[in-house]
Amino acid sequence: MVSVLLPQLLHGLVFGAALGLLALGLTVIFGLLGVMNFAHGELYMFGAYAGIAAIGLTGSFWVALIAAPLAVGVVGALTEVATLRPLYRREPLYGLILTFGLALVFREAVRQIWGGDMRRILPPVEGSTPLLGMTYPNYRLFLLAFASALLLGIWLFFTRTRAGIIVRAAVQDAEMLDGLGVNVPRVFTLTFAGSAALAAIAGLLLAPIFTVYPQMGVEMILLAFIVVILGGMGSMGGSVVAAFVIGITQSLLTLWMNPQRVAIAIFGIMIVVLIVRPRGFFGREGVLE
Amino acid sequence: MSNPLSLRAALVFAALALLPLTPWMSKYYLLLAFDALLFGAVAMSLDLLIGYTGLVSFGHAAFFGLGAYSAAVLLEREVSSLWLSLGLAVVVVGLYALLVSYFATTRRGIYFALLTLIFAEVVYTVFRYTQTFGGSDGIQGLPPPSILPGVLVDTPVGNYYLVVSYLFFAYLVCRTVVSSHFGQVLAAIRENEDRARFLGYDVPRYKMGVCMISAVLTGLAGALYPGRAAYATPDLLHWSISGEFLIMVMIGGLGTLVGPIIGGAFLIVLQEKVSSYVQWYSIIVGLVLIVIVLFVPKGLLGFRGALRLRGLRRGST
Repeated sequence: MVSVLLPQLLHGLVFGAALGLLALGLTVIFGLLGVMNFAHGELYMFGAYAGIAAIGLTGSFWVALIAAPLAVGVVGALTEVATLRPLYRREPLYGLILTFGLALVFREAVRQIWGGDMRRILPPVEGSTPLLGMTYPNYRLFLLAFASALLLGIWLFFTRTRAGIIVRAAVQDAEMLDGLGVNVPRVFTLTFAGSAALAAIAGLLLAPIFTVYPQMGVEMILLAFIVVILGGMGSMGGSVVAAFVIGITQSLLTLWMNPQRVAIAIFGIMIVVLIVRPRGFFGREGVLE
Repeated sequence: MSNPLSLRAALVFAALALLPLTPWMSKYYLLLAFDALLFGAVAMSLDLLIGYTGLVSFGHAAFFGLGAYSAAVLLEREVSSLWLSLGLAVVVVGLYALLVSYFATTRRGIYFALLTLIFAEVVYTVFRYTQTFGGSDGIQGLPPPSILPGVLVDTPVGNYYLVVSYLFFAYLVCRTVVSSHFGQVLAAIRENEDRARFLGYDVPRYKMGVCMISAVLTGLAGALYPGRAAYATPDLLHWSISGEFLIMVMIGGLGTLVGPIIGGAFLIVLQEKVSSYVQWYSIIVGLVLIVIVLFVPKGLLGFRGALRLRGLRRGST
């Protein structure tokens, strides 16, 4: 039994770590702008394609791992300034529709540039390591370590640095922060860029495990939404915890069910959570209700 | 209560009824008009929820798709009566909508949107991945429906009149709803749900009621779709379709009924026309959406007071 459970548990951790990066950006943007960013899945996809481009130019996955998030971060910043900034004082519904439109544009742009075919990125780390009586692919271990370190770094950023504290303050009360003389629009833009870069990293990290295609973001965004809700919308710690919970639950359930049933089971859990405890693990009560 | 059919609306419907007599309505344009009016009607019934009650449903594709599958299952078994299709759609969509609205209306704002979305995703997953209803291919190659024994609706003109009749029916229902006392209570719920409750209105019942009306109207539209397309596929149930419905309402203008019809027709025609010139029409459609949100936020036929969607406003309690 252990020999079956353990690999699944590790798969769950690996996927959960990447999902955490994706959901973290989504929840921060939600907390800041009140917008469920439908284009977040496309930023995730951009990460994978920017990685393919960077690998094509330099031949190095490691260069891509730096270049892709930077490029996608710039795209994120430009997008925020051009389209989301005019919507700050409007109903969040407009943000939802706007990002839906952005997602259409981004997806089709990628299809036009790279075509609609499935692509693969070769794992930069090969081989596997004997671990607790089984062998586990090195790349997945690297992914887990890298994503976890990044999550830890982000946690330190939010708790220990002035910039991080400003972002958290903006999530709490942007108007008050504005009153204190902080350039809030710039905080929003930079945070959006950061969120886009995180999505890009998640996309590139998962690319050697999954396949890369224009629809990959659409497949992922709902799961990321679910993680954000489960963690409590706007709660950063919550979404990381929820990402691991969902990652592990999903991969353990596949031992007993086919993937479709797993998807339905996850949806079922979500429906119960939304009805019984809509604020999720760590969400503030009453907000957004 | 005012007459649900104003003179202006009656003239527009008369013009729609006469449209196929004009020389430039080729088969192609009739089918395009079918889609435009059908999805316009769906957007209008969604407007009952969003514009009039302040409930944003992100799961209307499930109502539409279940309606389409109801008709497709019957047509596949050579039960060609359109009335049976519509009846089955009402039953299936009604039961599903009862379940969804019972749970979803317990929550407000974005949680309502997410509940409707996730319920719809369950339906999508079931239809997409189980072979009972054809899996990812759906049900294809369906025969045309009949409105009377032996009278098939198998021409573009026939389908066109079907959809105009349906739009007429749905429009009367929606107009009646919004101008009735029931509709006034819905507006009160949109403006201030707590106050409506304190006045003694059973708010969840009203919300469920309007959800059911909107869902069943959408399901009926879905049941007409296989008659024109000869198929029902799981793509019709996908959440991106729900997103498109929402966009149609936004383009047209919330809380106007007529606006969303125009918005739906506009989006369908835009997609069709642009896709016949370029392959990257999604980019154009996306850009048009962005431009509308940024520069024409009240929609093509805007709401004249301030837009109120209390539940979705950030931080409001």
